[in-house]
Amino acid sequence: MCICLSFLHTPITTAEDKPSIFSIKGFGTLAGTGTDSDLVGFRRDITKSKNTREAWDITNDSRLGIQINAKFTDTFNATIQWVARDHAGNFFEQNLDWAFLNWNIQPDLTLRVGRLGADVFMLSDYRNVSYAYPWIRPPHEFYANQPYYHFDGIDITKKFEIDGGFLSLKAFGGYSSNQLPTSLDILFEQDSLNFGGNIQFEKNDWRVKLSYAHLEMLAEIPFGHYKNTDLPVEQFINPASYETLNSFWPGISRVLPNIFIKGKQVNYASIGTTYDDGIWLAQAEASYTETNTIWYPDQASGYLNIGRRFSTVTLYSLFGIAKSLNKPISIPRPPSGIDEFNTAYNLLDMAINGNGVDEKSISAGLRWDFYTNMAFKAQWSHFWLGRKGDRTWVTSPSTLYPDHVNVFSVGVDFIF
Amino acid sequence: MAMKKIILAFLLPLFSISLQAEELAIIGNRKNHAKTLLPNQVQDIYMGRKHAFPDGKIALPIDQASLRSDFYEKLTTKPIAQINAYWARIMFSGQSSPPMILPDDSSVIKAITENEGAIGYINKANINKHVHVLLILK
Repeated sequence: MCICLSFLHTPITTAEDKPSIFSIKGFGTLAGTGTDSDLVGFRRDITKSKNTREAWDITNDSRLGIQINAKFTDTFNATIQWVARDHAGNFFEQNLDWAFLNWNIQPDLTLRVGRLGADVFMLSDYRNVSYAYPWIRPPHEFYANQPYYHFDGIDITKKFEIDGGFLSLKAFGGYSSNQLPTSLDILFEQDSLNFGGNIQFEKNDWRVKLSYAHLEMLAEIPFGHYKNTDLPVEQFINPASYETLNSFWPGISRVLPNIFIKGKQVNYASIGTTYDDGIWLAQAEASYTETNTIWYPDQASGYLNIGRRFSTVTLYSLFGIAKSLNKPISIPRPPSGIDEFNTAYNLLDMAINGNGVDEKSISAGLRWDFYTNMAFKAQWSHFWLGRKGDRTWVTSPSTLYPDHVNVFSVGVDFIF
Repeated sequence: MAMKKIILAFLLPLFSISLQAEELAIIGNRKNHAKTLLPNQVQDIYMGRKHAFPDGKIALPIDQASLRSDFYEKLTTKPIAQINAYWARIMFSGQSSPPMILPDDSSVIKAITENEGAIGYINKANINKHVHVLLILK
């Protein structure tokens, strides 16, 4: 018992021992996930390099996190959190979720500087700590298209006590760099400036949160990747050549300005609430994303979770929905007989119209707290895949993806 | 009827002893300014929502391994698995750390007598003059 609970230690002075200023804690999940279709690849979110098809794999939801805290004084400390998981790009750097200095200016006023967790949804910033929520993974419709785990910058939080509840206000700003796999089969280093804030109110069994974030895209799509191919990449990305190109491929100059992302903006807003009285638990979130780039079309998403505890077993159900709100942009057909133009047409169509999301799902599952600080989970999800986009899934251009897919998962969560 | 009374007379003390054993005393250092605390004030400190006593002094909550489940069930009416999941959320979102855990009543009493801001819980039967009782949880 004591060994299992040793993670709970915080420094306290006694006459005999002087505690270390460092404390180490950890969390993890070992989970297997499988589907009933090999025509579409399931992935927990769009940062993942791998995806799950029919065969069971453990890379989808398994992870191991370490958190090290150094308490220098009562008001000054530093924290690092690193989570080993499947993430596209640089395994060490992208998986470093936190590395910040924390200064409690007053007991209810905190300033943090460094690498910080993105705080714009209810699971901020414990999306990887599966032990802290009922499901095997965060609700797919809401979280799968959300690549922001962290940013480098500053945040400030002020807490108030109001009518027996706790209100907190947070403002943040900084720079984020996310390495993402794309449907064009290249790694995209998505750099952005971001700022925003949230308001959270917690009272008794309830927690409510409103969040907002604004992103300013700093990096361009790596078009250079295609320079060694037969594609007319230079003409596509140089507006000066659009008129010439238009004479070969009428109407194309109208479409091409859409392919750039640098300088474009994303506005994101969400509202969430959670209720937990020890027996019944419920959580719901809804978000709206408004952008002026085809790489992230406007989107609405939400989910509702209801669960009930029976001693150490929690049964839950989950319903989620996500849909892009954009209209497809029609791309004029290229002149016949030029193969490069046909390839370019397909790539343009994928780039311009292939970033939407369109899915609904219903899930049922159980969580069994079978041992101190460990929980077994099993979850079944049935997804309906719409035709407005497949961004959160992995599909191939040559195969039509299915309308339905079942995803099965079992796993064990632990903290130490 | 008489037999029943006799049996009851034997059972009652047993019953009351077991009831008494279930009562927990929430204790603080003798220098603690709070005369008593309300259950919701204790809850705010133990759930990491508040880091200080009503007089503003920093609070150092202490858990006890053998009474932990019972304590949280009485204080919050929530099962210990849920309390652990709650702390996982708070701790791994960088907000606060859960109370340290000591093994038994005597180690809790010792830590409380040595730390002015410490607050802990013990069996009511083990209260002594070196600590200050802040609340009795039934």
